Amino acid sequence: MWKQTGLTIRVMMKKIMHALFLSCLKATELIEKKFHFKLSFKEKLQLKIHKMMCDACSMYEKQSAVLEKGMESHHKHSHEECDIEQLKKQISLNLKEAGN
Amino acid sequence: MNVDRGFPFQLQSINMGKSKTANINEWVELYTADLYSWANYKVSDAELAKDLVQDTFVAAVEKYDGFKAESSPKTWLISILNHKIIDYYRKKVRQPVAKEIESFSRFFEANGDWQESRKPNNWQVDEKEEHLLDDNNFQQVLKECLDALPEKWSTCVKLKYLGEKNGEQICQELDITPSNFWQIVHRAKMQLRDCVETNWFNN
Repeated sequence: MWKQTGLTIRVMMKKIMHALFLSCLKATELIEKKFHFKLSFKEKLQLKIHKMMCDACSMYEKQSAVLEKGMESHHKHSHEECDIEQLKKQISLNLKEAGN
Repeated sequence: MNVDRGFPFQLQSINMGKSKTANINEWVELYTADLYSWANYKVSDAELAKDLVQDTFVAAVEKYDGFKAESSPKTWLISILNHKIIDYYRKKVRQPVAKEIESFSRFFEANGDWQESRKPNNWQVDEKEEHLLDDNNFQQVLKECLDALPEKWSTCVKLKYLGEKNGEQICQELDITPSNFWQIVHRAKMQLRDCVETNWFNN
């Protein structure tokens, strides 16, 4: 019986913690929101405290930032060469076919 | 970029006395290169950029009567191209994603805790970050993981870098709400992070 009471108390505590300082699902959502939008004061505070208690989410934030940077440099590197003369010919041909 | 390279006409030679066909053909010659590099910069995909430039000229023929001689043809063409690009992204963002993929249950318990097996591992890249980002193999893994995402999601995560826009501008262009946007990004990043960890850090 004590075991069960202990379990119930733990579940309750967790619910309260989640309500006050976010679940990991909600915390990671705010981490992503932060990359694009401003967080409210309450959200900032909740996220900060959540991260103090949760290594996994702190790690997630760092890694998500690495991915952001990775995509940025990926975008810079990914321009392929294109045969412009060929493209011009193709466009002229298409326009002719379209009855221009 | 020098658009006049080796070309006998001058920019000023666009005169409305000329036939529509002659003008359009001249624009193809003059502006294809610039339109292409703009499109490629915005969509980061060579084949797609070519298609968009072609569509732009087709639209230019159709809308030719709306072109005002006092505005520059290049500006006019770029504005058509920009519409094509936004249309392309809007379509992508409207694509539905299957419910079971969309659900967070792969990563989180019903109460919002991490699934034990999906918790982020330590990547230990703090000092080696620059190194990592310059690593072509890492970039390759990242690309493969991005390509593996549903198109709706990869569009949303990539958009920020295509034209360096902020969240609000992106939402406006795509015609979606901010919360809708960051929830898509959230879901996409969750998958992307997991994929990169599995294929790079755990290998």
